[in-house]
Amino acid sequence: MGHKKPYEVKDVAGKLAVGFLRNPLTAVLGIVLLALGWIALSTMPREEDPQIAISGGAVIVAMPGATPGEVENIIVKPLEKKLREVKGIEHIYGMSMDNVGIVNVMYYIGENREDSNLKLYDKVMQNMDEMPKGVMQPLIKPFDIDIDVPIITLAMYKKEGALLSTTDFTEKVKKLQHEINAIDNVAKTTLRGNHKEQYNIEVDMGKLSAYHLSMGQIMMAVQSLAANVPNVKGRTQDNKLTIFGIANAIESVEDVKNVMVANYMGSPIYLRDVAKVTNGIDIQNFKDVGLIARADNNITNPFNKEIPQVTLTVAKLAGTNAVFVAKDVEEVLKEHEEEFEKEGIGYIVTRDYGERANEAVNELMHHLVITIIIIALMLVFALGWRESIIVTFTVPAILAITLFIAYVSGQTMNRITLFAFLLSLGLLVDAAIIVIENIHRHLHAHDAEDKDMDEILVQATDEVGGPTNIATLAIIMTMVPMAFVGGMMGSFMKPIPLNVPVALFASLAVAYIFTPYLSLKLLKKPKHKHNHKEEEKEKDKGKS
Amino acid sequence: MKKFENFVHNILKSKVKKTLVIVLTAVAFFASLMMFPTKLVLAKMLPGKSDNTYSIYVDTPTASSIEETKKVTSCITNILTKEKYVKNMSIFYGQGIPLDYAGLVKGASMKRTENVAEISVNLTDKHTRKEPSFLMTQRLRPIIDKECGHIISGSTIKLVEQPSGPPTLASIVVEVQGDNIKQSRELSVEVANILSNTKGLVDIDVMADDIYDTYKLIPNIDKVARSGLAIKQINNILYLAFEGMVIATKNSENHSDQIPIFLILSDKTKRLSDSSQDAIRSKLTSLNLMNQRGMMVPLSEVVDIKKVKSEPMIMHKDLKRMINVIAETDMVSQVYPLLDAREKMIEHFSKNYTVEKAGFSTYMFDLYLTDKQTGEKFLLRWDGEMKVTLDTFRDLGAAFIAALVLIFFLLVIYYKSFSISGIILIGSFLSLIGVIVGHWVADLITEQTFFLTATSLIGFIALMGISSRNSLLLIDFAMSLMSEHGMEKKEAIAVSAATRAKPIMLTAVAIILGSALLASDPIFGGLGVALISGTVAAVFVSLLFVPVLMDNAKAVNGGQFEDTLIDQEHPNDISITR
Repeated sequence: MGHKKPYEVKDVAGKLAVGFLRNPLTAVLGIVLLALGWIALSTMPREEDPQIAISGGAVIVAMPGATPGEVENIIVKPLEKKLREVKGIEHIYGMSMDNVGIVNVMYYIGENREDSNLKLYDKVMQNMDEMPKGVMQPLIKPFDIDIDVPIITLAMYKKEGALLSTTDFTEKVKKLQHEINAIDNVAKTTLRGNHKEQYNIEVDMGKLSAYHLSMGQIMMAVQSLAANVPNVKGRTQDNKLTIFGIANAIESVEDVKNVMVANYMGSPIYLRDVAKVTNGIDIQNFKDVGLIARADNNITNPFNKEIPQVTLTVAKLAGTNAVFVAKDVEEVLKEHEEEFEKEGIGYIVTRDYGERANEAVNELMHHLVITIIIIALMLVFALGWRESIIVTFTVPAILAITLFIAYVSGQTMNRITLFAFLLSLGLLVDAAIIVIENIHRHLHAHDAEDKDMDEILVQATDEVGGPTNIATLAIIMTMVPMAFVGGMMGSFMKPIPLNVPVALFASLAVAYIFTPYLSLKLLKKPKHKHNHKEEEKEKDKGKS
Repeated sequence: MKKFENFVHNILKSKVKKTLVIVLTAVAFFASLMMFPTKLVLAKMLPGKSDNTYSIYVDTPTASSIEETKKVTSCITNILTKEKYVKNMSIFYGQGIPLDYAGLVKGASMKRTENVAEISVNLTDKHTRKEPSFLMTQRLRPIIDKECGHIISGSTIKLVEQPSGPPTLASIVVEVQGDNIKQSRELSVEVANILSNTKGLVDIDVMADDIYDTYKLIPNIDKVARSGLAIKQINNILYLAFEGMVIATKNSENHSDQIPIFLILSDKTKRLSDSSQDAIRSKLTSLNLMNQRGMMVPLSEVVDIKKVKSEPMIMHKDLKRMINVIAETDMVSQVYPLLDAREKMIEHFSKNYTVEKAGFSTYMFDLYLTDKQTGEKFLLRWDGEMKVTLDTFRDLGAAFIAALVLIFFLLVIYYKSFSISGIILIGSFLSLIGVIVGHWVADLITEQTFFLTATSLIGFIALMGISSRNSLLLIDFAMSLMSEHGMEKKEAIAVSAATRAKPIMLTAVAIILGSALLASDPIFGGLGVALISGTVAAVFVSLLFVPVLMDNAKAVNGGQFEDTLIDQEHPNDISITR
């Protein structure tokens, strides 16, 4: 090694080292990289679990009065056969029940969702002419994981002693729902356990037979009054328009009560005589939602009794930041705080994926930072604090590049992406460690004093370049086949094969560019020859 | 470092010591592999993660009313109110909870009948809570089952955790496929019984409608025609009377919706005294229909009432009739209960059926049953998390082999030698010893079972690369020592092992420290442990075992890299790669 003739650069590593060693732009590049990483870190959409492209849908066909066996033969079997023709469907599930047949299709994981939905719709529509008689129009409902999985659910309830009626309460919740819907990136909001206002006519069967009435008569009587018609235009003699129209006959629940149902022995019978008519809620809806919470929502307090609640769910658009959406929703809620207080409306956030995503991401970020510090400390003992600083700098630089590339390629930051980072963390300091160790060794070698600093750095970098390249390539190659793992799990862990190779490439580049550069700035040739004893001590430390 | 150099040199000089190193390594390798069949190390796809929420699915028998379902849920919530970590609960009657990851494939969004309810339970933050959610559900499950399971007989209560990985229908799904519905139903009940008698399985459910009594009103066509009625009218009035119908709507300026006008018989008068045929008849007697001539005809006059059994829903999967039987695992890997249950099934069904086992595929646990008397065929197919696990392990295994091949070719291209590439591969493959032993140790230390999971496999695949890097640097350095300094082979290997020991140690320590925090994570723990223990093994392998192999390989020499076949003297070492 130690010949006087200038060292001949053989590897990419050496070339990169030569190119950037005295280049003023190297520092700028470093700063730019870190800045890009910071931008990516703060704006990249965060979610807890990675998005899995599950596509599929249900075709629902109703056939009133048919038994499961009939539905199976008439609806489900022919439909299944037709849907079998669609490419990309993994499983078809048919359900034949009384009155209705449902066929669910599940596409292979990773199939394009829009295409899949279209294919399903297309197939059903193409075969509409083969629909059997007496069957109602098929309903086609695609699944949509992003739009259907709410990231926030709010339990809205009336506080004890609130004067609000159930329908007024629902109106308030609906108003809130409307406002939340206006927030950027909010996709679908739904209400659960809400009750609509409804006029209920509960007929007493005994009175019905006493007055010789049938249910049909009551129905006709109400229907004949409940028609709404548009206004008509009348023309006057001098061709002017006069608008007139029939007012709604039913304006309030009182009007319903006073509907005349029949004449019995000459005296009119009103609806109120045979039925209880109320302005109430939809009594046929059994889908209530109950809430059992602790008093004042404080964990040390005992539980209150079960009270009815209305659940407001909020979903976000695909690829948007759950954390930001959750924050915006929170702000809208805050605006309403006073109003809710006055009206006696309370709410509890029963699900917040935004917070969970943030927590998961922050926790893993925390782990990353701790790990970097531990490694830096270890290097201080093994190599010296200057060397340690150099290696420690390379880590954020590498992560910044990887993060930015992930951001640009449309990935989100989730548990698995960060897992990929943690996994690569142990690997990506290697290149820098190997380079810095070799530089360290060369600087402390016997012939170091005769040589130019630049030459030592380039040579040290170049020397380990070959095997390091191959070794890193080997690790990348272990990761690449993982991208071809199929199914749900493959799609779940896709961020690993996507990000680890990028991180490793970045680690090579950073090790070859910045390690010699920073060594030039920070490291000095030792004044005296280092005695071997000390070196050995350091090695022993590294071993332990 | 001189010491270590001498140590390595000593080993290389003595043939006995060299053989000893190889034998010891081989023994360690096979001993660690034996940990799988002896169940010292258990495999599972993904372990449970502690979460701040879980849900409870309640299914009462098919024709139960919402009031009956409410009885069960209020019993459950009563138990839960005594839990100090429960923050709040939302109970969704007749519907699923707002869709979540678990509900996505469990069909929560399809629920719309009176016999279902779901409870979403929120817990305090997992960082401040001592009991992880998966232990809490494990503890509560038998309590809830004992207290509330019998209120409505035949109801099932499931405690559902958020999945840590991709969601599946259930840990264990047995599809009973067969055209004969009646016999399939019987089979599925038997399967369910076997599953519930298997240790480690909980929340067993046959996903089929229960058969219950219904009454059919059969219109007497003759009487209907003579009394001037129409069947459609009868249908409508019947529905109107007992289910109610929106008969008109009122538009409103002050409300965001139209106000429907709903007509129904009052609750008091429509209630039946009991669910007998006579009760229905007497109720129908007082329900009158008006015919075309304006006369009142009691409904009971024109229909005959007949008691029949309900027809259950028919399920198809991929055009075949089937019934799902599902079960969850209770903090154990699904592999071992599955094998247990399958053994029992083979024994149980071989009385009346000829049982055939399936061939080698990811459906390899399937059982084909043929009825000995009728010759009808049935298939018991194992699906669910097991299938996903097998698929994943198969794919990861294939990925792993592909990685091996790729690395091998890469090395062959670089070194132009099969034997050097072989040495490096053997060296990196041996880190498996560390991975398996590491999991065994982790299992000993931790309270719960520490499974070998999919993340452990990922860690192992990554390790392959790391340890091949160690060997690479070692070989490269030794060869350059020989070629440029003209060192003798054994000495060169010893010197390079000693010099390279430092960076190998450093990178190893970096990986170990980097993974230390991972090891405590419930999901990535497998990866952390795999990386830590695998790296330790890799260091030993690359500093002791690889030098021995290098010494034996002719291709490692100072000269140009030659195409040399693997050393004939020691065919044993090479066989490990296969």
